[in-house]
Amino acid sequence: MASKIQVVLRPVKSIVVRFCPFESNVESTRNFLACINHKRIQATNKNCEVTADVRHDGSEPVVDVMFVDGDRLIMKGANLTTVEMLTALGTRCNAKEIKEEQKSKKKSL
Amino acid sequence: MAAMPSAAGLTRALPAGCPPALQLVRRGSKAVTRHWKAMHFQRQKLMAVTEYVAPRPAVPPRCRPPDTGPRPLPREAFRDNRMIAVCQYNAMAGDDVVLLRHYLRRHNIEVKFFLNEIVRPVLAQSKYRNLLPLFVARNLLLVSREAKAKEMLRVLKGVPQVNLLGACIDDTILSRQGVENFAKLPSLEVVQGQAVGALSLLPSQTSSLLQCSSAHLTALLDQHIRRLQEGEGGAPVQPSPEPTGAH
Repeated sequence: MASKIQVVLRPVKSIVVRFCPFESNVESTRNFLACINHKRIQATNKNCEVTADVRHDGSEPVVDVMFVDGDRLIMKGANLTTVEMLTALGTRCNAKEIKEEQKSKKKSL
Repeated sequence: MAAMPSAAGLTRALPAGCPPALQLVRRGSKAVTRHWKAMHFQRQKLMAVTEYVAPRPAVPPRCRPPDTGPRPLPREAFRDNRMIAVCQYNAMAGDDVVLLRHYLRRHNIEVKFFLNEIVRPVLAQSKYRNLLPLFVARNLLLVSREAKAKEMLRVLKGVPQVNLLGACIDDTILSRQGVENFAKLPSLEVVQGQAVGALSLLPSQTSSLLQCSSAHLTALLDQHIRRLQEGEGGAPVQPSPEPTGAH
C-alpha cells in the first residue's frame, strides 16, 4: 500500500530521517525511509539527498524535509503511519510543483 | 464413448443360419489416424480397469515431522558467529547487492536475509531478547566469526542504502555509536601488551629500590677510604661522615 503512493521529489533538496532503532515506535519511520529509497521515487530527483541518522538516545523519530525554496517540513513519526507521512509529503510536493509551473507560465507570458 | 453405428456405414449381412446381427463398420478409417479416433468400447473398458493407482504411503504426510531442508536458520547464525550486525535494508539494485556481498565476503562477513516473522520467535526465546525492537521493516544481518568492525564500517560507508542499526559482538549489544567506538579500539594483542607493560613497570623497579640504600652506603664508604688514603699521604685524618640511609 505504501509503495503505491507516488511522490515527486523535484522540489525537495534533502531529507533527513532521524530515529533510535531500539525504541518501539519507529516502525512507520523506518518504512517511510524504505519507501523513499525506492528507485521509482528516487528517479524523480537524483539530486535529493536522503540521509538516515541512527542514534541511541531515546529520542523520537523525526523526518526533516528541506525544500528547494527554503521551506521545511518536520514530521514526528512516533504517532503517524507511513501512508500518512507519504501523503503529507506528496501533497506538499505537488502543490509546489503546480506553483512552479504557474510561475514559469507567467514568466513565459 | 462407444463407436456409434452410423447409417452411412457399410452393413455386412451374415450368411444364413446365423442369428440376425448387424455388423456395422465405420467408413474406412485405419487404426492410426491423423484425427482423434475414439477407442473401441472394449479397449475403453480395459484402459479403465488397468488405470494406474499410486501406492499410498504407510505414514500419512501430515503425521511426519516437518522437513526444514538445507535453508540457513537464524538459530545457527546467532549461535556460531561472534559478530552479528543488524542493518536496515533499503531497495538496492541486484548488482549492488552482489558487489556488497563480495566485498564483505573478502573479510569473512556473510550477508543474510531473514524474514522478521521467522527471526522474532527465535530471538524471543534466546538471550538476544533486547535485539527484538530492531527487527521491524526490512533488515539485513551481517554475521562473522571474527569481530571485524572497522572493515565492515568501511564497506557500509560506501553503500548509503544500508544503514547500520546495531550489533551484538561477543554477547554484548552495541548501538551504532558503540560499534564505531569498538572499531576505533586497538587490537586485543596491543591492549594486552600495554596492560602487561603497565603492570610490570613497578615490579621492575623493586630490585633497584632495594639495592639503592646499600649502593649509596658503599659509595660513601669508598669516598671515605679515598679521603683517608689522601689524608695519610698529606693532611691530618678528617672525621669520617656518618653512614646515612643504612636501616
